[in-house]
Amino acid sequence: MNPQKIAPLGADAPTILEMRNISKSFGAVTALVDASITLQRGEVLALVGDNGAGKSTLIKILSGFHQPDGGVIILNGKEVLFASPRDARANGIETVYQDLALIGDLSIFHNMFLGREYHKRIFGLNLLDNAKMRDLAVKYLKTIEISIPSVNSTVDLLSGGQRQCVAVARSIYSSPTILVLDEPLAALGVREGGQVLGLIQKLRRQRDVSIILIVHNYNQVFEVCDRINFLHSGRIVLNASTDETSEEELIRIVKSGLGEQAMLDRALEAGSGRS
Amino acid sequence: MSQKLKQNNEQAALVIEPSREKTREAGVKTPSTTLEKLLFILSRYREASIAAVAVVLVVYFQIGSHGQFIETQFLGVVFRDTGRFGLIAVAEVMLMITAEIDLSVGSTFALAPYTMGLLSVTWGVPLPIGALVGVALCVLVGVINGVITVRFRVPSLITTVGTLFFVQGIVVSIYNSQPIMTPVEEPFNEFFGESLYNPRADALFSLHSLTAFSPVLWAILVVAVMSVVLNRTTFGLHTIATGSNPIGAREIGVRIDRIKVYNFMIAGGLAGFAGVINTLQFSSADPAAGAGFLNLEAIAAAVIGGTSLLGGSGTAVGALIGAFVVSTLNNGLVMIGAQATVSDIFLGAGILAAMMLNVQVDRLRTRRRI
Repeated sequence: MNPQKIAPLGADAPTILEMRNISKSFGAVTALVDASITLQRGEVLALVGDNGAGKSTLIKILSGFHQPDGGVIILNGKEVLFASPRDARANGIETVYQDLALIGDLSIFHNMFLGREYHKRIFGLNLLDNAKMRDLAVKYLKTIEISIPSVNSTVDLLSGGQRQCVAVARSIYSSPTILVLDEPLAALGVREGGQVLGLIQKLRRQRDVSIILIVHNYNQVFEVCDRINFLHSGRIVLNASTDETSEEELIRIVKSGLGEQAMLDRALEAGSGRS
Repeated sequence: MSQKLKQNNEQAALVIEPSREKTREAGVKTPSTTLEKLLFILSRYREASIAAVAVVLVVYFQIGSHGQFIETQFLGVVFRDTGRFGLIAVAEVMLMITAEIDLSVGSTFALAPYTMGLLSVTWGVPLPIGALVGVALCVLVGVINGVITVRFRVPSLITTVGTLFFVQGIVVSIYNSQPIMTPVEEPFNEFFGESLYNPRADALFSLHSLTAFSPVLWAILVVAVMSVVLNRTTFGLHTIATGSNPIGAREIGVRIDRIKVYNFMIAGGLAGFAGVINTLQFSSADPAAGAGFLNLEAIAAAVIGGTSLLGGSGTAVGALIGAFVVSTLNNGLVMIGAQATVSDIFLGAGILAAMMLNVQVDRLRTRRRI
């Protein structure tokens, strides 16, 4: 069989995150209505939905950018409240946003350690320990098998896929419990997207970090995720495990579950659009 | 649809094969042709191209002036200007890396020595203390520049034009634009810029001849320090990050507003320091010392030295070499008998050429992935 096939996540894997009945409005616009998601340790969950479905709002609540109007977030069995992105990060939730927040004029290894630089004292001065950061970056990128030209090259010389990989690598370097990837495949060609999917697959095989992927289009990520949650108009309309279902079946479920022609169209579009 | 899925899977599988990936993804090419090698050197060592220009200029003026250019007395003048421009240019480099600019250096350059002179003649305050107070005031002007720029979101070009006139106005109005004669307090004057060199009595390599170069020696020291700050400290790293990708840097946790304010403070302080050195040379504090094109000449030096106005890149050493080129052009053309006004034509052309070269090298660098 396919050597890439990864054993399904056991049902005994502990639940690491629960977002329960989250609701959020921005003025008159209702972004989320009683949305609940759960995440097990090591699981890869895809949040799929149209523009404005609420998936970005949901992860921005998780990463501390927004505060929910209602509902609770339970992390490792404890109820938490994130007042800021810094709070979320301190609790082991790393988010890679679409803009990646990479510094084009800095080398890859400086990017990896930006904001958490290593220093050494030379003549009483607290100078950057570039050699140490370079070595650590080389070692680390090797362990997660990211192919980049050299850690010394600046980020603006990298391709889109390589940049996404470096951004992911930087985020998981601090060994977070949850990694949130916001549209990791947006603006990437098929081959470059494949590079990113390869990295997600590697992380999934290790089952160390739980990943939430935000995508438009679930067929891009069907093979690399354990579960898919559909969002529509701020509600989770479907929660399906990928090893028990197929893409075609997903379409059927979405159709019957909603009984709406519009929703079917949307799901079809989500399934086969783009790429 | 399953067809498409299969394709995707194949893509994913393909990527995991590392050996194949490496050959296809190698972004950094080893330069092969002469042109590529040249561009490689230019993009790696921005200073190299401008240093070559500086050498060509020196050779040209040396021949044109029948061997009088490389002579302690004349080089003393060139290096005095190099020091003055260089100190300000390196401060502009730091600011330009954060994608800001400071035009008010033209008046902080006069503010510090004028404060020093004023304190000395009215209260008899020793020059070193007056100089410190003056430089501190310039740093304060930097704080004002920074806060107005980052808090009130006024573009720094406008902010610093405002403080340029404001500070200039204050300095000029104090004594009705009269210069202040400052006393000579050795070894302070000697140490910071007064030239004691006497070409007839002193050997070229003597302490007195060294004083002819003290402005540029201070500039070299400051450039060395700023190079270390820029390349080997967290502050330098965050300065580059701030200019290169402000939004991204903020997301990572770089305090970009603070970084900008600090760099405005450095610019104010260094311009004040350059002004103090300038005044100690003549023992006269001119309230309009920085009027004219001093700020623009310093920015020209930074730009010629390879710093982009767009932020994210720049070198301190380049700024010093750029300052040398600017002052060589200013003085050398006069020396070979050209009209003083002609030098501006060459300076202007030099700035345009340097900017075009910078943009071109950058484009080629990203396109060819050198």
